[in-house]
Amino acid sequence: MASVDLKSVTKRFGATEVIHGVDLSVADGSFCALLGPSGCGKSTLLRMIAGLEPVTSGTVLIDGADVTLVPPAKRRIAMVFQSYALYPHLTVRGNICFSMSLAGEPKARQNERADRVARMLQLGPLMDRRPAQLSGGQRQRVAIGRALVRDPQVFLFDEPLSNLDAQLRVAMRLELANLHNTLKTTMIYVTHDQVEAMTLAGKIVVLDRGRVAQVGSPLELYNTPANKFVAAFIGSPAMNFLPASIRSGNGASLEAAIAGDRSLTVARRNGTALAGPGNCEIGVRPEHIQLVDPGAPNAIISGTASVVERLGNTTYVYVDTPSGRIIVEAGGASPIATGANVGLSVDASQAHAFGADGAAL
Amino acid sequence: MSVADAADVAVATAVRAETGRGSLRPVDGTGFVLTLLTVLGALFWIFPIYWALVTSFKPEEDVVQPGIKLWPEHFTFENYSFVLLNTKIGLWYLNSLVTSGAVTILVMLMSAMAGYAISQLEFPGRRLLWWLILASFMVPIPALIVNHFVLMSQFGLINTWAGVILPQLIAPVTVMIYKQFFDSVPKDFREAAIIDGATELQLLWRLYLPMNKGITTALAIITFIAAWNNFLWPFLVATSEPMMNITVGITQVTDAFGVKYARWLATAALAALPVAALYLIFQRRVTQAIMLTAGIKG
Repeated sequence: MASVDLKSVTKRFGATEVIHGVDLSVADGSFCALLGPSGCGKSTLLRMIAGLEPVTSGTVLIDGADVTLVPPAKRRIAMVFQSYALYPHLTVRGNICFSMSLAGEPKARQNERADRVARMLQLGPLMDRRPAQLSGGQRQRVAIGRALVRDPQVFLFDEPLSNLDAQLRVAMRLELANLHNTLKTTMIYVTHDQVEAMTLAGKIVVLDRGRVAQVGSPLELYNTPANKFVAAFIGSPAMNFLPASIRSGNGASLEAAIAGDRSLTVARRNGTALAGPGNCEIGVRPEHIQLVDPGAPNAIISGTASVVERLGNTTYVYVDTPSGRIIVEAGGASPIATGANVGLSVDASQAHAFGADGAAL
Repeated sequence: MSVADAADVAVATAVRAETGRGSLRPVDGTGFVLTLLTVLGALFWIFPIYWALVTSFKPEEDVVQPGIKLWPEHFTFENYSFVLLNTKIGLWYLNSLVTSGAVTILVMLMSAMAGYAISQLEFPGRRLLWWLILASFMVPIPALIVNHFVLMSQFGLINTWAGVILPQLIAPVTVMIYKQFFDSVPKDFREAAIIDGATELQLLWRLYLPMNKGITTALAIITFIAAWNNFLWPFLVATSEPMMNITVGITQVTDAFGVKYARWLATAALAALPVAALYLIFQRRVTQAIMLTAGIKG
């Protein structure tokens, strides 16, 4: 087990800087997810921790030791690749024993350790098969086994579940969570899937174009997003954003006018002084909006239900309003029909305000 | 059996009968002509080989008789026994085996390492080296034969195995093919092995070569066949009879016994035997290699 620290790490490919001075601290034994859309630099960051990508500037520390220039094999890390990268010419046993075989460990010791890992991951009957003879889930387990046998200080996962079907992904997610609970080894997990990140990780690092947008626990990110990017990225369906103008405010709350006349008082997140009246955006999650009568006193905006998606336990209603399309999460038995005129009432205590620069106000 | 079952059986029988008729494909005129042309081409190609083999089983006096006899009137192994017992064919075989084997092993080793270096390693001058290899591909080997001879002569390697082997180690095509195949190995394998602690040499030996075993086999076979069949260079560099390769040895049979067609063809058949066997065993791999060296990736 070991902590991982990044200090002002940057990465440049030619003239293009893709990682801009990232500072990050992953505690010993924790499960940390690097989350962000494609091209945000999460895999590059992971590869820099692994030593597969040279760091342009900054320092990478594992267990307090500077490993910036240390070769990958000597960092005591293990990595599970998106493609699993199982050597196709070797059996499952050969794949698991590969690192030990390279190091010249005695055959008996190799087999003993491989068998231990196989028992842990239920790979016993598969040990003599080749990767081509395995299913996606089995390959995934072999890839984890190959990492596990190295007894690493840090596990690195690069989108390991993205090649699996939805059902298997859920099953493997549970296996990974169990594995972390059993091993208590530091794990860093790259994903673009917020559900994976939120369900597995104790700490999520949201990356936006090579910068850390926010670091926090899943609920911190969900309930108190630091900026519009995180607010929009976390949660499905995504948060609704309503253009608004600030009427007044103080360190604790602000009053914003939505769609011209109705106003909403929103709790402030950062408590800094407001620059004064100006434009902002009010962010509200679909589950914090209620469908009401268009003329109801608590309706802050009204519109037409253009699409109704019924998922059984819940219903998503897409309402076209003067402020744009708003998604509302209604009950599974909601009688709403397509084309109906509806009013929308917002739970102001759960609403967020974002300034013109996207930062939470 | 119910009425419905009987009806099902009747329908199934009718469908089978219909399907059976459908399997007789209608005569395709173009296909027939093309097949005929292919068969004619194959016969045209195989006839000299057949003629040579048949002749090698004829007594010499039958060979020089006028007229064409497609099958020996008097079948004999005398030509073969003569060549096997009265010439240095054993030594020629050994020379061919050693030189062709050495050429194959060395070419594969050097090409795999060069291909790996150019494909996977970052070093100054890599691009220049690649261009040089490409450029060397443009130079026909016979154009260098005088230089090679002078060089081997100065090294004192005339009439030695090393003299036969060394100039045959220039194999830019093999390097190119290896580079192409190593390029196509997904980067994840390399990175996984690096994390596992593999050195560059281990990466080549334990990852890239085993993952490209098929192409290695194909290239090795075709390199061996080319080295075995090579005539011009071994003919120039091995002038003493005990150092000759089998291909060059054939000329000695002719020189020593005058024009003896049957013996000559028996020697040629013996010379071709290992290569023919190799081809028959590894037919698919050889075809693949020929296509690759012709620039068509199979």
